[in-house]
Amino acid sequence: EDPQSDSSVSLLPHLEAKIRQTHSLARLLTKYAEQLLEEYVRHQGDPFGLPGFSPPRLPVAGLSAPAPTHAGLPVRERLRLDAAALDALPGLLDAVRRHQAELNPSAPRLLRRLEDAARQARALGAAVDTVLAALGALGARGPGPEPAAAAAATVTNTAAGIFSAKVLGLRVCGLYGEWVSRTEGDLGQLVPGGLA
Amino acid sequence: MPAGRPGPAAQSVRWPPPLLSLLWSALLLCVLGVPRGGSGAHTAVISPQDPTLLIGSSLRATCSVHSDTPGATAEGLYWTLNGRRLPPELSHLINASTLALALANLNGSRQQSGDNLVCHARDGSILAGSCLYVGLPPEKPFNISCWSRNMKDLTCRWTPGAHGETFLHTNYSLKYKLRWYGQDNTCEEYHTMGPHSCHIPKDLALFTPYEIWVEATNRLGSARSDVLTLDVLDVVTTDPPPDVHVSRVGGLEDQLSVRWVSPPALKDFLFQAKYQIRYRVEDSVDWKVVDDVSNQTSCRLAGLKPGTVYFVQVRCNPFGIYGSKKAGIWSEWSHPTAASTPRSERTGPGGGACEPRGGEPSSGPVRRELKQFLGWLKKHAYCSNLSFRLYDQWRAWMQKSHKTRNQDEGILPSGRRGTARGPAR
Repeated sequence: EDPQSDSSVSLLPHLEAKIRQTHSLARLLTKYAEQLLEEYVRHQGDPFGLPGFSPPRLPVAGLSAPAPTHAGLPVRERLRLDAAALDALPGLLDAVRRHQAELNPSAPRLLRRLEDAARQARALGAAVDTVLAALGALGARGPGPEPAAAAAATVTNTAAGIFSAKVLGLRVCGLYGEWVSRTEGDLGQLVPGGLA
Repeated sequence: MPAGRPGPAAQSVRWPPPLLSLLWSALLLCVLGVPRGGSGAHTAVISPQDPTLLIGSSLRATCSVHSDTPGATAEGLYWTLNGRRLPPELSHLINASTLALALANLNGSRQQSGDNLVCHARDGSILAGSCLYVGLPPEKPFNISCWSRNMKDLTCRWTPGAHGETFLHTNYSLKYKLRWYGQDNTCEEYHTMGPHSCHIPKDLALFTPYEIWVEATNRLGSARSDVLTLDVLDVVTTDPPPDVHVSRVGGLEDQLSVRWVSPPALKDFLFQAKYQIRYRVEDSVDWKVVDDVSNQTSCRLAGLKPGTVYFVQVRCNPFGIYGSKKAGIWSEWSHPTAASTPRSERTGPGGGACEPRGGEPSSGPVRRELKQFLGWLKKHAYCSNLSFRLYDQWRAWMQKSHKTRNQDEGILPSGRRGTARGPAR
């Protein structure tokens, strides 16, 4: 697929600027997401953060990792999936922050990063929506995650304990990083000049 | 929650279960142990889940493999604690699907989020986990001290018992109430003046005592400090005096004049404020303190070195406010203000030295006694200003007349007489 033909309508200057701006934001948040993950594992204790640590990849209801087929989709469809994921992430990150506030109350930097990540995901999602609207592609997003609030309010198995909550938090932080990185890549293909 | 067999000193989990359930209802979780397609991992559960234990106690835990998966067996399972594999002799198979673990003499938890006890399959994949909380109950906080800034708020500090090391997150809550009536209140703004402090910003009564105490709580219990009783008026401090100016006193080479303004927040109430001045030479770390500066807003520093830069600071103690009999609390020092004394015009060995020559009043003991005399005059004679002024005038006259005498007598820098034209004094 030629990404430039996907945006075959010549982009107005303001749309081009918006795309560049959103792409830059996604790039910045990719870096922040890596820092969040480092901060998170530091506070959960070993084996979190040890090389080779491979916890169960607990499925998170309402959000999954980018599919292997994601890269092969049309760019507008990819951006719709990016926006949907970014829409689901704030609620999940907030939930992780609330749990970490009980588990690690003396880790203000971790809590602040989680709070910031929720806000940043919201902002990036809104920016991607703006780009999609400008591209005339904001219509039906198609099958995507459940609405964020509903996903975050799902009652869980109460036998699950604190260790599994740590693992889940790790999973959510990982998903956040995967989706902002994926968004950066997808927007990069829209930037005139074809930035990756 | 299935019960393992805790050690003799083990405590049941005290962290409020309803709170954890609330957290889980807000958290999006899948059921632990639902295998991902293709992972090949069997699922299991560890018991007890997230126990809380005293340091030195023992723990018996089990890892039970779910039997709904064909081929599920506890054979080959092993344990890790905080990422380190535990010796196999600590584990044994209870039955085909359950591996038991016995840990003795537990150390305090390595991190506040709990030690990670994990059950692994033969291939190393994680089957289940449980977080251990090993520590001590809190000891009684002590040494509570409080102060009020300009009667508007109250800040308190305390020392945690046992130097605070419980290995568990310990929550400190500062409580206060009016002594003879009123309900318990809880301070909400923590860590304002260090890790064990709290700030009450408003709605404080004056002229009536408060009772203040600190409660410490963790998973293993709680402790309460002794009660401190105080009236806000007895613990008032204020801002440092603003507008501190330091200037020379005419040509006097060993004096500087310090002036300041009464702290504005309390200026209408400070009838008996005390002040302290401290000063040091520019390249020194040793401060000299002038303590006997009572309710006035100026002071003259004497006995200084000529041609030297001095840094000066002032602070205020609003004691006696509204008739309080307590000592009051010193404010912070004002920002340093600098000034230099005039250079000495006299030459001689060491050039610029301010050692006295013949005919001049000697420094040291005489000056000290003179200062004491003037201090006494200030308290008893109500004419201190006059005395200082007269003293300054006398000193200036002495310096001038000494210079003139030296010129008349032709005294050389080495002290030898040259050709003298008049009789020596």
